[in-house]
Amino acid sequence: MKAVIFNGTIEDDETIKAIETDLVGQLAKAGWTVEPIELRRTQIAGCLGCFGCWVKTPGMCVIDDFGRETAKKAVQSDLLVWLTPVTFGGYSSELKKALDRLIPNLLPYFDSYHGQIHHKMRYEKQPKLLVIGANSTGEVDEETFLGLTERNALNFRPPKYAAGIFGKRERSEDVHCFVEKLLKRVEVIS
Amino acid sequence: MSQPRTILLLNGSPKCERSNSRLIAKFLVEKLEEKGLTSEEFFAAKLLNSSENREKLLKSVDDADLIVLATPLYVDSVPSCTIKLMETIREHRKTINDAGTKLLIAVMNSGFPEKEHMSIALKIVQNFARESNLRWAGGITVGMGGALGHKSLKNGAGMTAKLTKGLSLASTALARGEPIPAEAEDLASKPFLPIFMARSYFRTFGNRTWDKDAKNNGARAEMLARPYEIL
Repeated sequence: MKAVIFNGTIEDDETIKAIETDLVGQLAKAGWTVEPIELRRTQIAGCLGCFGCWVKTPGMCVIDDFGRETAKKAVQSDLLVWLTPVTFGGYSSELKKALDRLIPNLLPYFDSYHGQIHHKMRYEKQPKLLVIGANSTGEVDEETFLGLTERNALNFRPPKYAAGIFGKRERSEDVHCFVEKLLKRVEVIS
Repeated sequence: MSQPRTILLLNGSPKCERSNSRLIAKFLVEKLEEKGLTSEEFFAAKLLNSSENREKLLKSVDDADLIVLATPLYVDSVPSCTIKLMETIREHRKTINDAGTKLLIAVMNSGFPEKEHMSIALKIVQNFARESNLRWAGGITVGMGGALGHKSLKNGAGMTAKLTKGLSLASTALARGEPIPAEAEDLASKPFLPIFMARSYFRTFGNRTWDKDAKNNGARAEMLARPYEIL
């Protein structure tokens, strides 16, 4: 089983580093292969919104850079983890760069899903999804963050998903327990 | 609140000049210009490539009384270049205390018919306003934005009648330094078609349009391709 971590760190962040280290440790202990990717160290151009990945080169972005790799890794993983500083109640620009480039993994075709129009899935199998926000700055809009992950789950349709924010007031020794709870919620560990 | 004199249109779309979000926002900005305001425009996708552009952006933010953020919906939020823009402005505004006198509004456009798709993205922009000491003055959310097809809204007829009327009402309030009234937000954000018709349209004509576009690119037979092997 393979897990891929999209790490959306903007600047050095001890909390995110600690969460990633713990995630890698717990997953490895459970027998998973883990690939953490620090997105700020990669070359991923912003999505152009051109829909070329749907109507020119279906399933593959027209931009030939690491964004193609992250889309491929997402398809080929069993668990996808998005790790980000909570930014305006959502994701950092670094994480969002990779997420915007995941749309080749969907089909352009529309269908009703949970009472709204959404795109159909290109692949039969989707990875489980775990979204972790780190609040290193102060008050964050947790409701919006969790709402965003809910909407993402409607669009990427993971078989299981969970999301949580590691708060500013929590102690570094609490990281392990926080990560463990989330991994249990996506049924990666028992 | 004093009357704003200067507008900064921040175009958050990677499509830059060819953006439907911009088309909608430009209509509003032009209405405000008719009332004596002046405007300048910056493109998120172009701006952050150099430190010179960054400085230019921040000066324009400093000079603006009203900021109009025009943005499409990408993966349930705003595009990455728009988040980068917001991160940059927030960092700059940390050191400035002008008592929240600058107004910020959002003009958001989505390819889906239901405006619920944009509710979270709108909250993210509101949080940006709060964290950047900008006074939130409302948001217009337009579903089915792709149907505008980059055509001008100036004749204000047909399916865009409510949108243009709502934008005109919004401009009257904004020119006085007031937030967009709820009535204007609701009117401008009304779906172009009754929602049951819009959904049916998407599932039929919408899907055929994708096929037609792929055919024009010689890719019709590959539409369902799965280039990445599942391991």
